[in-house]
This record gives sequence, structure tokens and C-alpha cells, in this order.
Amino acid sequence: MSEERRGALRRILAIRGMPQVITVTVGLLLIFVAFSMLSENFTSSRNLRNLLRQLAPILIIGIAQSYVLITGNIDLSIGSVVGMSCMISATLMTRGVSPLAAVAVTIVCCLLIGLLNGQLVALCGLPPFIATLGTMTIARGIAQIVNDNRNTDSIGEAARGFRNLFYYGEVSIGGLRIFNTVIIAAVLWVVFNFILSSTRTGRHIYAAGSNIEAARMSGVNINRTVTAAYLVSAFCSCVVGFITCATGGVGTMDAGNMYEMYAVAASVIGGVSTLGGQGLLLGTVIGASIWSVLQNGLVLSGAAVAIRNIAVGIIVVISVLLDIVVRNGKWLKKKGTA
Amino acid sequence: MVVGAVECLAECEHVYKSFFGVNVLEDVSFRVNAGEVVALLGENGAGKSTLVKILSGVYTRDSGSVRIFGRPVGDLTPREAQALGISIIHQELNLCSHLTVAENIFLGREIIKNGVLAKREMSRMAAEVLRRINIDMDPDIAVGDLSVSKQQLVEIAKALSSNARILIMDEPTSALTAREIEDLFVIIRRLRGESGCGIVYISHRLDELKHITDRVTIMRDGRFITSADFASITMDEIISHMVGREIKEKFPRVDCARGKKIFEVRNISSGKAVRDVSLELYEGEIVGIAGLMGAGRTELTRAIFGVDPKDSGSVRLDGREVAIGRPSDSIDAGIVLAPEDRKKDGLCTRLSVRENITLPNLDMVCEGAGMVNRRKEDVMVGETVKNLSIKLSGPEVNAGSLSGGNQQKVVVGKWLARNSRVVIFDEPTRGIDVAAKVEIYNLMNELKRNGIGVMFVSSEMPEIIGFADRIIVMCEGRITGEFMRGEATQNKILEKATQFEIKKIDAGCPAQEEAV
Repeated sequence: MSEERRGALRRILAIRGMPQVITVTVGLLLIFVAFSMLSENFTSSRNLRNLLRQLAPILIIGIAQSYVLITGNIDLSIGSVVGMSCMISATLMTRGVSPLAAVAVTIVCCLLIGLLNGQLVALCGLPPFIATLGTMTIARGIAQIVNDNRNTDSIGEAARGFRNLFYYGEVSIGGLRIFNTVIIAAVLWVVFNFILSSTRTGRHIYAAGSNIEAARMSGVNINRTVTAAYLVSAFCSCVVGFITCATGGVGTMDAGNMYEMYAVAASVIGGVSTLGGQGLLLGTVIGASIWSVLQNGLVLSGAAVAIRNIAVGIIVVISVLLDIVVRNGKWLKKKGTA
Repeated sequence: MVVGAVECLAECEHVYKSFFGVNVLEDVSFRVNAGEVVALLGENGAGKSTLVKILSGVYTRDSGSVRIFGRPVGDLTPREAQALGISIIHQELNLCSHLTVAENIFLGREIIKNGVLAKREMSRMAAEVLRRINIDMDPDIAVGDLSVSKQQLVEIAKALSSNARILIMDEPTSALTAREIEDLFVIIRRLRGESGCGIVYISHRLDELKHITDRVTIMRDGRFITSADFASITMDEIISHMVGREIKEKFPRVDCARGKKIFEVRNISSGKAVRDVSLELYEGEIVGIAGLMGAGRTELTRAIFGVDPKDSGSVRLDGREVAIGRPSDSIDAGIVLAPEDRKKDGLCTRLSVRENITLPNLDMVCEGAGMVNRRKEDVMVGETVKNLSIKLSGPEVNAGSLSGGNQQKVVVGKWLARNSRVVIFDEPTRGIDVAAKVEIYNLMNELKRNGIGVMFVSSEMPEIIGFADRIIVMCEGRITGEFMRGEATQNKILEKATQFEIKKIDAGCPAQEEAV
């Protein structure tokens, strides 16, 4: 029995990237304990429910960025696509389009940005930083132009179902009331984690990020693989746009501002390598959680915005530095060692 | 003028060098005198590059002595070697293409006055150096805008401006046209004559030697073979000295009856590296492709496999033409390639052995929806590891952590897991130990016995002669020769491998002018 359990443990530990995930999980627990001692409200069920709701969009964009990072690229357009999704869906709904149709149209628009990203990077060979910097600006421009450079009015009564689905609604699971937003994030995580870890496409994503030449010579269609990752990213960002829209009940042009960077932070804290080929979506959950717990806990402890920013920045740098140290077994690369 | 006493610029004696226990230089002695051009000759891997890298401070020798201008020197850094007057011009040019000619010439030793760059002065001095070797070039033009031959001249000017007396040129003419080669030779002769430089000239183009060479030094397998005045040695003697070893190694060749034609490449061209190549492959034979470095062999395999685009030509498998636009087309058709550079093209080093082996075979282990069936995957990986006796602690270890031989087995193994019709190996035994080599040979034999077309590229002459049933020789992207097993000798292969297109060089060479 214990022999069997040890075998299972060893199998889990053998999964590539699992040790990093365990390390950051320990970090998350430490931060969690620290905040529960600093502020008694932190562990109240009300706050924990809130915390989960704040975590959901960060997790979803974290999934988005992780997919692209694992292919060895980056997606800077995530935040702008969130804004675009928020503005397009809100504008349509305020103009009497049914929420279902609005959602469908918005998803198509966002996927077009994802497709463009994929083609610019994989087909045209643009550096991903530049390509998505371009689409980031374009998508933000679209977010501004759809309602004539203004935020929208309230999306109103007709969109109650929309707001319910993406924000207000709750599901009761075993006596626990869980916000729909959290459920959406969980479903997306399960689906995309499955694709990444257990399907051919997922394997190709890792291979493309690990060694693009070897992947190509093994018959992997790089264009299709990279584009798939950008499409996943655009889709996830689009969903976060809906959540943002449902949360405020209006479309705001600067929705999702800086989200691409939060997404990078959640990914790399969770052990996803910016060099590609490495990382687990399980790590992204932990990374997004650390991010959200820090934000939430620091607010409850009365820290100023500036302090929050500094703290989060430090955590990002330290977590990646720790990863490098663990991996290399030494502090800094020494020069001159052959 | 001092008559009789020839000034010796650089002299190496009894130099040894090994990498990871492999001797690349054994007891090599070499000298270059003032005012002479020494051609340093030898096959791939003879140790020429290692020797000149020791001279120019890139590598340090294990033992032996080096004297520069008669003074013994210890281990040099490249900077110190340069300061002593030794400059090396590599085959791949080391210039910053965005900087100007003058900036490149003074790179790393810029002239600074009052804390700012003395641009005008450097420009003037650069122009002076260029004039000294009769090159008409604007020192303020960006190097990237120049042709390759002009860039090479910038390298030479750079060397001269640092007062180099010993100039090492590694395959300087490979990228040049006949006219440019003539110009280069004029400059080389001027450097030798007027400036009293000693020039070490490495080239595989034996036909060029007569225009400039005073003396030849021949190396083989890391050893010094002979040194002779060029006038006193014939081309045949040179070739014999270059290949002269006996083949002692045994290769586990098996005999099979040659069957029907499996595979045919017709008139394939790809860029400059592959030009109008046609070849055929039969059941029960292993075809070896020989040639010198840069002959276009790797490029040929890449063009066949669909990694690099084909400008023209077709590939036929079992009599039917197959359209190959990308590697997946080729894999689907049953033509696979185990590439030369494992780290770069063969393996995802940060992924596990399991993932590497199944990467091209996911179609075989996936369920309908594209979900990987881990059980089938484990079976495939287990069988491959067992069949190839890959030594590892478990299939989850990173492929990059394996030894060279085991990495190579993974690269080969991933292709053997599927039923292919043609397997192409590019340098299958490079950098792996003898035991692993034999295992790779046995695998190739196994394929041959099973009627699968096997083709391999190798720079190891004994391997080609000892293991291939048929040998195709390439030079400059073309097929220049073909031998059946038994017909081929090292001399014959080398002769074909150096059959460069004759560039008519009329550099005013006083002696052996030949009508071709």
C-alpha cells in the first residue's frame, strides 16, 4: 500500500516541471499563512470567495500567456484583446443585439486577432514581441473606435443573463457557493490543461518551443502549432473581456490594460519558461494564485498601491531567479567556463 | 639583403592537443618563413584548423613549443597573438556588417582622443591601409553593403593595420568568383613580396595552389606527414599523402542481393548548395555519400526531406512521384531523415526521451480525437529503447542529458518506430564512441535486410569505403563521381571530391600556366 503510494508519488515527481510547481506551491502557502496572521479578515469566507473571483481572470489570461510562452513566443496583445472583447460585446448589447449574438461576434473578432498573431509570427517570421506589439496597438484602437471613442452606457436589462453568466451567478457544489466566474476559469483550465498535457497539439506546442528545428524535422507543422497557441490566447482573453464587461455592466475602453504583463507574471511565477518548451498549467494556477493573494492580502493589510506594485515586482524577479538557481545549481553564470 | 638566412616567423614543434581524451594533434611540427606562402593541406578532420587555432591563440596546446619570431611563447590569448602579429582570416567572416569599413578595421583598438573616437583619423588610416594593398574602397561605407570578396579584403586590411606579419587564411576562395580570386592572389603575392609576410593558406582547391604556393605542408589524422617545396612535389603525391592511411577498421557489413529500385531523386536543385542532383536507391543496398565539408551533402538530404525548398526536381518512391513540400509530406510518404546536428535539428533536448521518440509518431499513438494514448506511447518507447539498447535511467529523463551515442540512438530510434521505405542518415556516427558506432551500423544493416532504402552521408572516408555498397561523391553541390563497392579507393574519392568547377584563374602566374 505505502509502496504503491510511493510509486505514484515518484511518477508525479517525474513529470517535467513538477518540482518547480511544488516549490512555488510552498511559497503560496507561506504567503497565505503570513496574510492570515496579518489580517483577520483575510481568511473570512467572504474574502476567500472574493479572492477566488479576483483570481479567475488572472488565471484565464495566465493560461493564455502560458500557451504562447511554451511555444517559445510571447503575446503582448492579451490586454488589448480583453479591452476589445469588452467594448465590442458591450457596444453590440447596448445597440440591441442579443447577448448570444454579441458573444458570438466578439469571439470571432478576437480569434481574428489571434489568427493574425499566429500568421505574423509563424508564417511571416516577425519577432513575436514586435508582431504582438503591433496587434496590441491595433486591438486597443479597435476597442476605442467601436463606440466612437467613448465608454459604453450600461448594457442594461436585456443583458441580465450575460451578466449573470459571467459575473453574478453562483453554483452550489456540495454546499459551497461558487461564483460562475470561478467555474468558467476552472472549466477553461481543465479543457486547456487536457489539450496541453494529453493531446497531439499539446505535444507539438512543447516541441516547437523546445527546439523549433527538431520539431520541424519531425514533421510538426510549426505554423499550425504556433497559430493554435495564439488562438487559445485570443479566446481566453476574449472570455476575460466578457467577465470585465459583465462585472462593470459597461464597456470600458481601457479594460484589460496591462493584463498581458500580469499574464507573463502569473506564468513565470508558476514555472513557465519564457524560453519556451517548459511549464505546466498547474504552475500557472499557483502563479496566478500568488499574484491574487498578494494583491488581495496587501489591500486588506492596508498597503498603498505603490507598495503592492513593488511587492509583486519583487516576487516576479525572485521567483524566476530562484528557478534559475535551482536549475543551474549555482548563483550566476561564471564567465570563461567552457 | 640578407641572403641565405631565411627569417622564420612562426614555428611549432612537437605540438600535442586532445579534446576529451581524443587526440586531434599528435607531435605536429610546422613552420612559416617570411616571404612565403605555405599551403596547409589535409582532409576534413586532419587537424589543420586546430593547428592554426593554436597559433592564433584560440586554443591552447597540451604540450610542445611555439616560437614566434624566434622567441618561445607560452599560451596565447587571441588578443596577444594578434599583438604579436598573427592574424587569422576565417572562412566565415567576422565582421560587424552594420559598421563601416574603418570601424571594422579598428574594432577593439579604436583610437581615442580626449575621450572621443578620432573618427577622421581612423578613416584616414584605414584608407591608407587599403591603398597599401591597392584596394579601391571607401572606408566609410557599411561593410554589409560590400560583396563577400570585398568583405574578405576588409579582413585582410584589418589584419595588416594591426601590423600582422603572419596571415592565416582558411579557405579564402570558396565564396569568390574567378576574377575575385585573381585579385586576391595578386594581393597575396604582394604581401609575400613587398611586406615580407608569411602566409598560411588552407584550401581544398588543389588546382589553385600552383598560382601562389611556395611550400606545402600536409597533415593527416592529426599528424604531420610531410613538408615540401611545391615545385618538387606532384599533385598525385599530394593526394596520396593526404589520404595515405590504410583502412584497418572493420565494418560489420552484410551482403544482400540488390533488389528493385525503391527511391529515385531526379534533377534536384536547391539554392547554391545543391545543383541538379540525381540518384537512385535500391533494395538491399546502402548508399554512402562522400565529399568534403561544404560539398552540399547535408543540403541535399534537407532538400529531399523537404526542410529546405527545392528549386526544381522531383522525388519518386516505388515508381510514383511524391510531392514533398515539408517534412510531414516526406514522413507520410515513408522517407525519413536522421539529421547531422543532433542538438540543433535532431532532438528537443529539454523534452524527455519519451516525448522525443514519439514526436514524429504521434499519429500512431493517438486516439481519434488527437488524444495521446499513454499506454500505446509507453509501449512504443519501451520497444524502441529495448531494440536500440538505449541506456537510460528512465524514459522521462531529458534527452539532452544522455551521452552522444545514446542521443544519436534516440534520433534514429524515433524513425525506426514507424515503417519507413527510405531512411537517410546524415553523419550517423559523428561524435559517438566505437561501441555505439557498431550498434548504429547494425541498425542500418537491419534496415538493409528488411528491404528498406538506406542512404548515409559521411565525412569519414574509411566508413564510406568500408560500409557502403555504393558510393556517390559530391563536390560543390554536384555529383562528381560514383563507385561500386570495391572500386573505390581513398585517392579516387578524394580526386572526385576535389573536382571543383574550374575557375579560369589568370593571375599572371609566371610558371605553370595551363590550358584547361
